[in-house]
Amino acid sequence: MNYPVWQLDFSGGGLLIALIAVLHVYISHFAIGGGLFLVLTEMKGYREGSQPILDYTRQHTKFFLLLTLVLGAITGVGIWFTIALIAPAATSILIHNFVFGWAIEWVFFLGEIVSILIYYQTFGRMERRSHLLIGWLYFIFAWLSLFAINGIIGFMLTPGEWLATGNFWDGIFNPAFWPALFFRTFLCLMLAGLYGFLTSTAIKEEAFRLRMVRYCAAWLLAPFLLFLASAWWYVQALPEPQRAWIANFSPELAPFLTVFLWASVLLFLGGLIMVIRLPKTATRSLAVVLLLLGITYMGAFEYIREGSRRPFTLYGHIYANSILVKDLGAVQAKGILASAKWTGKEITAENRLVVGRQLFNIMCSPCHSVGGPMRDIKKMSAKYESVYAMEAEISGQGRLIRCMPPFAGNLQERHALAAYIIEGLHNRKEQTTPPPQLSAPPLAPLPFDPEQDGYVLIAWNSLGMHSISDADGTFSLMPPANDLFAQLIKRGPIPEVVTEGVALSFRVEQGFEKPAAQVGFWKDLPALFGRSLPDNIGLSGQGLSGVMQRKQGGRSFVAEKVPVVPYPAQGGYQPYPSFTIEARDKTTNTLLAATRMVAPVATEMGCKTCHGGGWRRGNTGISTAAAQDILTMHDRFHKTKLAAQVKAGKPVLCQSCHPDPILNGPGKAGLLNLSASIHGFHANFLGGRGAEACALCHPSSPQGATRFLRGIHHEAGLDCTTCHGALEDHALALLLAEKQAGKPGAQRLMQHLTPQGATPLAGIQPRTPWLQQPDCLTCHVNFGPPETDSAFNVWTTGADALYRNRHDDAGSIHCAGCHGSPHAEYPATNPYERERDNFAPRQYQSNPYPLGANRNCKLCHTVDMDTDLHHPNSLNMMRNTRE
Amino acid sequence: MDPTQLIPTPDTIPAPWEFFQLLLILTFFAHLVFMNAMLGSAMIALVREMRAKPADPPPCRDIASILPYTIAFAVNFGVAPLLFLQVLYGHFIYTSSILMGAYWLSIIGLLILAYYSAYLYKMGGDLPRITRIRALTTSILLLLIIAFLFVNNLTLMQTPQNWNAYFQRPDGTLLNLADPTLLARYLHFVVASVAMGGLLLAILALFQQKKGVVGAENRLRGGMQWFTYATMVEIGIGIPFLFSLPKNVHQLFVGGALLHTTLFTASLVTAFFALYYGAKERVWPATAAMGTTILLMVLVRDLARQAYLAPYFHPADLQIVPQWSPMLLFLAILVIGVAVVVYMLKLAARVPREVR
Repeated sequence: MNYPVWQLDFSGGGLLIALIAVLHVYISHFAIGGGLFLVLTEMKGYREGSQPILDYTRQHTKFFLLLTLVLGAITGVGIWFTIALIAPAATSILIHNFVFGWAIEWVFFLGEIVSILIYYQTFGRMERRSHLLIGWLYFIFAWLSLFAINGIIGFMLTPGEWLATGNFWDGIFNPAFWPALFFRTFLCLMLAGLYGFLTSTAIKEEAFRLRMVRYCAAWLLAPFLLFLASAWWYVQALPEPQRAWIANFSPELAPFLTVFLWASVLLFLGGLIMVIRLPKTATRSLAVVLLLLGITYMGAFEYIREGSRRPFTLYGHIYANSILVKDLGAVQAKGILASAKWTGKEITAENRLVVGRQLFNIMCSPCHSVGGPMRDIKKMSAKYESVYAMEAEISGQGRLIRCMPPFAGNLQERHALAAYIIEGLHNRKEQTTPPPQLSAPPLAPLPFDPEQDGYVLIAWNSLGMHSISDADGTFSLMPPANDLFAQLIKRGPIPEVVTEGVALSFRVEQGFEKPAAQVGFWKDLPALFGRSLPDNIGLSGQGLSGVMQRKQGGRSFVAEKVPVVPYPAQGGYQPYPSFTIEARDKTTNTLLAATRMVAPVATEMGCKTCHGGGWRRGNTGISTAAAQDILTMHDRFHKTKLAAQVKAGKPVLCQSCHPDPILNGPGKAGLLNLSASIHGFHANFLGGRGAEACALCHPSSPQGATRFLRGIHHEAGLDCTTCHGALEDHALALLLAEKQAGKPGAQRLMQHLTPQGATPLAGIQPRTPWLQQPDCLTCHVNFGPPETDSAFNVWTTGADALYRNRHDDAGSIHCAGCHGSPHAEYPATNPYERERDNFAPRQYQSNPYPLGANRNCKLCHTVDMDTDLHHPNSLNMMRNTRE
Repeated sequence: MDPTQLIPTPDTIPAPWEFFQLLLILTFFAHLVFMNAMLGSAMIALVREMRAKPADPPPCRDIASILPYTIAFAVNFGVAPLLFLQVLYGHFIYTSSILMGAYWLSIIGLLILAYYSAYLYKMGGDLPRITRIRALTTSILLLLIIAFLFVNNLTLMQTPQNWNAYFQRPDGTLLNLADPTLLARYLHFVVASVAMGGLLLAILALFQQKKGVVGAENRLRGGMQWFTYATMVEIGIGIPFLFSLPKNVHQLFVGGALLHTTLFTASLVTAFFALYYGAKERVWPATAAMGTTILLMVLVRDLARQAYLAPYFHPADLQIVPQWSPMLLFLAILVIGVAVVVYMLKLAARVPREVR
């Protein structure tokens, strides 16, 4: 914010610091342990009266000097140069707060130089005691350098009390100081042995070589257990967030932890092998291999240490993007451009990519390269298909993506940054392709003679849209399973709902009879549900045609879990297949009545917007790539092994872990129900976007291939949020119920969500998904015209009170029977063929209005009525009439 | 864009600015001495290596043996003033370093190569002449490049009006080449190095003379000649350098401000003394005069920087949040550290010379 950013692209994202730091650290630790090695080996030479040992020590000193004093010391300066270039604000804090620490370290550095030069230059010529004293002084200066630097490095990860006091000593003697000092000291000793292999394996005389190699092996092996113990102590001494980050194998660190653990084993074994008498070439090669393994080891450790600091440069004080924690709120309020010094000050249509780049430089480049090996932004953002999707990802930073700082900018800045990544880096321009033209032929009419016909048959689908996931072979969020309902009414002055002596059958329209030819559900069934079914037969045993069952304890008939899919045999996508329902006399098989209904079913789940992979087919479906990315993300966030499970040929049923009332799935105890977890997770990324957010995943987009909002509410201008609340509110209600149930995951998802509607968090009513939905009567008080424009936060009491299950006041007719399926309330407008959802009212009343509307009581009663028997105000005239 | 908008906000300092200023001046003085001795002696050694006949024994083994050590101390004494510079002027030097980041960071690689080349030259007494020359030339060229990059950064940090170029080149490849003082300033440092190199040669020869080493007298004379002629050239470069400074800056030193003018005049006087003793081949008086001149020049340079930055900043503007106990600990460790260093040097001085 304060400083310009060195725009590095390929070598950005910390590559420079990683390279130079690992090299420096590997040599500088040797510079300490190796110093002790020199003086102790020299003493050994004197003690044993061995000139070869003294000669070896002298040779090793030359190697030591050339390595540590040149490469070691200058790369140390190099780290300082690099951090000042890459993270000047944090470097400035380190310099200004610890200048005396640095100055003290400089004195030690001076002492190191003078002592090692004298030690080298006077080897064999200075009087023994003095020479050993010089050697000891070198080691002391070197170790004191570690002492000082260790305080400052530890401060960066665990500043402890310093955050509150700003006190120098609190910073230096931070919580990790002592364990880190021991850890590094033991490491120094081990490295002395490791580097010692390099010179000792070069000794010509075999017996002496073996002796010195074993001596070096002792240096490597003896401190090993103490080293591992101090590593454990180090981790235990870390404050909770940092400790958990490491101990839980956070996804970012897991590979490095694995490398560290394996390299521990290999180094130890390598040290043991070196003890064995081996040919010179073998030990020499092994010495080089172990040295390379050592730098990998060191690199892994330093990466873990640095990585566990994320998203901060100085934990809890300044973020990696140089924004002080205390300033974040102010920057978010003001905007980045208004707060930063080295950027443009406004975003225009012309400069948005240029400013987006500047925002990227500040916000992203400290950790992300462009096309380079360090967290390449091009690779990591490749799956986001649009600026909008990229913005969603940016929104979630610092929330569930804890290794990243929260985005500090305003909406325009977020957009400019996302535009730079998607349009600037991926050259993906926003495509304004016209929405697909949707059409379907009208359903063939069925006759109804109001004078002659004795029955009215009404039918509906339980859900306004049954969304199925066709991520075949990968996962199932929802299987093909539409529930078709029907009621048969015998007309007469006192009509009767017929439930006995009749058989109701259903039959899908031509072309939809063989869903198994379209989706892989039947292949996945054994893995998903632990059972096999014949092709085209659904989970309750129903096919695409058959006999409806009497609803237990009810007055309707139902065909449960009919496996209809939106892919007709002739190709294309048709999310509104129709079913013909017939009622026949059970004894005579006489056709009493017939009607048609729409069984809405969609595969338009927009996962691909953010998870990549595009649509599965045409404009719909979850591609395998998108599905795999979802599982990979799930694995990353929750340490599952779903991707591997799929790779092993076992697709995942989400409800096998996550409880879900819609499938009666109990899931695993303690886990969030599926709806709460999915909405809760995504609300952290898609907040502040109103109904647009819903359409990213659900098939409600007005430009989509489904457009499932087709009831009169949609025509009246209402959207998803009117009844369900904005995504955050919707998610909060679901999560609150889970929180009350004592599920720990709820709070994690809730903590960053802010209600968008008028109801504050404390007022939001918890709700169980599927069983508690908005209540029509919240707006339509006493069945009258709407009195409010929000149905959010008043939930039906349970499954029986749901619109799809509810009855009229007489307890005979289902609400949906007369008013249509949810989201397709009469008069509905189907995007494929306008009247498709209005088949029954068209058939029975020649209008698209609810059955019996405009006082058409005769439809069932055969005579006019003057009492609102079914519900209050049912004798009112239709308000939402069509031309 | 208005440069004042670009200057970062500085952090607080833990002691009065004058304390850091003092440390900056003292450690920078030490850095200059080592750096000049290192570069200058290397350059003189190169000339001698080139003049030597192929059959001659390797000349300048005395310089060769200490060249890597002068680099070590030039670096060590470079770290300290860079630290104190960052304390006082961090928001300027970080910024200018970033603007030339690619070049600035390359210094690390160049320095490592220069250092190893110097070690090769030191340890290469038995190597063919051409290899020695190549090693030394590599080292010198790299050190000269490093010096040039330093001059770029130290001028760029005090000219925020040039920082706008970042917006056209944010990839860290800016240099401050348009600065009218750049070349004179660079030559001023390089030629001063030659003078100091000559002086170092003469001091080494003086010790050799005391020990009765053959040819020491010639080497002493040669060293003092390098010193004297280079100092004359140095004065010749210094004058245009002074007048290449912006008018408001250079005027301070020629009557515009008492302190500035006094220090500058005093440095000229001591420089003439240095010349005088140089011509007389009196090593220690010349060294004293040169040392004083360098110290005065360091002060003059610092005042010039303050004058450059006067429209934007003065170290007195920095807010102090005192840390007395760490400061005292530093001073104590400095005293102990220096005492131990002196003790070690004494031990080393007692060791008889290596018999070749």
